[in-house]
Amino acid sequence: MNQFVQLTVNGFVAGSIIAVGAVGLTLVYGILRIVNFAHGDYLTFGAYMAFVANVTWGLHPAFAAANAVVLTAALAVGLEFILWRPMRRRGAGVTSLFLTSIGLALVLRNAIQFVWGTTPFRYRINVFQSYDLGLFRISQNQITVVASAVVLIAGVGVFLSRTRTGKAMRALADSVDLAAVSGIDTNRIVTWTWVLAGSLAGLAGMLLAILQASLNPNSGFNALLPMFAAVILGGVGSAYGALAGGIVIGLATELSTIAVPFQYKEAIAFGVMILALLFRPQGLFGRARVV
Amino acid sequence: MIDEPRGPVHRRHDTILEVEDVTKHFGGVAAVDRVSLAVERSSITALIGPNGAGKTTLFNVISGFIAPESGTILFQNERIDGKPPHAVAKRGLVRTFQITKALTKLSVLENMMLAAPDQPGERFWSVWLRARTVKAREIEIRQRAMEALRLFRLDHLADDYAGTLSGGQRKLLEMARALMTRPSIVLLDEPMAGVNPTLGKRLLEHMHQIRDEHGLTFLYVEHDMDVVMTHSDRIVVMADGRVIADGSPAEIRRDQGVIDAYLGTAGAPR
Amino acid sequence: MTFVLGAFLSIDFWQYVAVTAGIYAIFALGLQLEFGFAGLLNFGHIGFMAIGSYTMAILIVHASLPMWLAALIAIVTAMLFGLVVGLPALRLRADYLAITTIAFSEIIRIFILNSVRWTGGPQGVLGFAGDYTDFSAALGRRLSSLTHISFDPDRVLLVLVWPIVLLIYLVLRRLTRSPWGRVMRAIREDEDAANALGKNPLFYKLQALAIGSGIAAIAGIFFSYQLLYLSPTSFEPLFTFFAWVIVLLGGTGRLGGVPVGAVIFAVIFAGTRFLEFWPLSLLDDGDRAAVRLIVVGLILIALMAFRPQGIFGKREELLLDR
Repeated sequence: MNQFVQLTVNGFVAGSIIAVGAVGLTLVYGILRIVNFAHGDYLTFGAYMAFVANVTWGLHPAFAAANAVVLTAALAVGLEFILWRPMRRRGAGVTSLFLTSIGLALVLRNAIQFVWGTTPFRYRINVFQSYDLGLFRISQNQITVVASAVVLIAGVGVFLSRTRTGKAMRALADSVDLAAVSGIDTNRIVTWTWVLAGSLAGLAGMLLAILQASLNPNSGFNALLPMFAAVILGGVGSAYGALAGGIVIGLATELSTIAVPFQYKEAIAFGVMILALLFRPQGLFGRARVV
Repeated sequence: MIDEPRGPVHRRHDTILEVEDVTKHFGGVAAVDRVSLAVERSSITALIGPNGAGKTTLFNVISGFIAPESGTILFQNERIDGKPPHAVAKRGLVRTFQITKALTKLSVLENMMLAAPDQPGERFWSVWLRARTVKAREIEIRQRAMEALRLFRLDHLADDYAGTLSGGQRKLLEMARALMTRPSIVLLDEPMAGVNPTLGKRLLEHMHQIRDEHGLTFLYVEHDMDVVMTHSDRIVVMADGRVIADGSPAEIRRDQGVIDAYLGTAGAPR
Repeated sequence: MTFVLGAFLSIDFWQYVAVTAGIYAIFALGLQLEFGFAGLLNFGHIGFMAIGSYTMAILIVHASLPMWLAALIAIVTAMLFGLVVGLPALRLRADYLAITTIAFSEIIRIFILNSVRWTGGPQGVLGFAGDYTDFSAALGRRLSSLTHISFDPDRVLLVLVWPIVLLIYLVLRRLTRSPWGRVMRAIREDEDAANALGKNPLFYKLQALAIGSGIAAIAGIFFSYQLLYLSPTSFEPLFTFFAWVIVLLGGTGRLGGVPVGAVIFAVIFAGTRFLEFWPLSLLDDGDRAAVRLIVVGLILIALMAFRPQGIFGKREELLLDR
């Protein structure tokens, strides 16, 4: 029983990072129809920007987080203007954009590796503190991660449901044509989508590095497929779906180790995604599309 | 294109297509609601109704792209409801699409040759083991295709990418291609939409000619009431997913329900 | 300057590049059939190559099968996996198929990494190449005596790989120009149109996936004998992306473009590993690997942005405008 609770806690923590990363991914996917294969590397970028602030400049982790957010958002918006928007204007189709994102992923990941090398890095934070709560243990890092994630998720939830931009984003993710007709400035919303996606990715990247107590150029990419699984599970374009999907994937991955050797737990996430695709392709929160 | 003409067709009163009580909902709305109709062999039937009446959905159900929730569809006395489109097409029921599906990355001639139903070379092993037969059939099929293209006056475009054709030419190509499959019945979804009047007239002439010479059955969706009144043996009227009238052009012209529901907007631009 | 030329003129270097190019060409030809002709977004192609390589190696090491039989079974196994994956996956829309196939190839890699008893796990498999090295040495001696040139193992492999590239190219050319190929191209563009004309799209797509996977396995077999050992890191999604770059570079749907793309790719890839002149001399191995991949990424982006039809492709037949 204890093991079950511990795994649930671990799963929830891991899932919350996937959830945060997946929200940005699903919004971009839903609004721009871009399957952004470089999203994982946006996470890595954020993690390294936090590293620069925290270790290279010696700043407090809060500033590191701010650094991660701001710079990753800037990266995302910058790329929108120099890459995505020109390609869309030239009529690039979904497949083209997908392939472009693969190229971008390669460039980002290896540029990071070029600058910082392959040796794993660590933040200057306390990694050893942990608390024994009887039923389970939880480390300082895990608390930081889950607390930050909860705050972020709540913030995102408020943003999407209360602000005009947020509501416009959800409308666009539902249907670009309808939204355009209703007078929403699509370009502006698209920019804000990247801001949101980039910020969340940057932060998720830092949280991931905190949780794993190390970061390397491949960290974000390794989280990419679970994030895609979360997006698909939750229904493409649904931010709430991505959140739920992320938690489910996290839980499924950790709890599966009860039955399956832990080395295979990554495969479990993929298995869940494939099952979702076969039996409910629109995801938990998506709407069944007419053929 | 469809073998030698069989001489004047004796109108046999047999039903080639029977739709019985077919229903299909989309998200709570009945797109097709207990629709029944019977199409006589060698007839030309028009299916009319306002936008959203369910005509294209009905086509999709009949041709196998959508499975009906209830009801049956009999084609040449065999049930085809629930069968996939390729199986229905192989049995001799072929349809065209509202937005043309001319295969733009293939040439006009390739579009036509693709449709021929009797080319063993479409099977993997035959490519290697029956190469001579395959080659011979290709020559026959090319001849048949060119004849058809000549009939539709598209032969000079045979080697062009279908993507270079105008909208009207693509409609003609799609109809010619459908006929290559040697069908028993052709469902045309808005064959005249977006086509200039000259080409449209030609299309209708072809339809009559092919029916007269070869006994083919036609069921087509159309909005132009003049066309429908003069170019059909029977008219089926749909509205809100249901059949509201079914009879000869004269009967339909007099039907009050139809007049109320639809004919008031006759001839108005779509 | 002579140092530079020396590197360029080294026969060993070009042999290595040529063998690598040949293996990539075979691998990419399989993908060309799947994407260029059937329109399938298969991003898990490397998974089938892994199945080919590892099945053969395991059969040789654990079941003591002779090389030819093991290779044949490996190819068939990969094809069967193609069918097994395709049956559910090919019904999915394009972007889901892409993600599903990547997931599949990762599942394969995870299994290979962890089935230590059979696959040696991260350490990999050794010792499957006995039959091959004997065969290669014998062939080398024969060729040497015929031509009076010495035939080292790399050179023998070169002589084995490229005729297979040609054979596969000719087979695929015949297929794609046949009525079978015509149906495939129709399905690629619009499967509903093909369906309405009596062609079963799933049936054809399955065939393309199965054949493409078999070809990937053939590439895997040659790959195994180039390296003489197998390890899971050789079968990451990255290598599928390489095949995509090659196919796109040569031109989607242009079979002849694949060997050209493969050679260009191999030169960039292998070339930057061994050439020592400035500015490459400033970088160590790890950095060079990173630069290599940055270049590949940039090529991919540039292709998509400026010349999506690749070197030999035709704009009218561009599949990527959806």
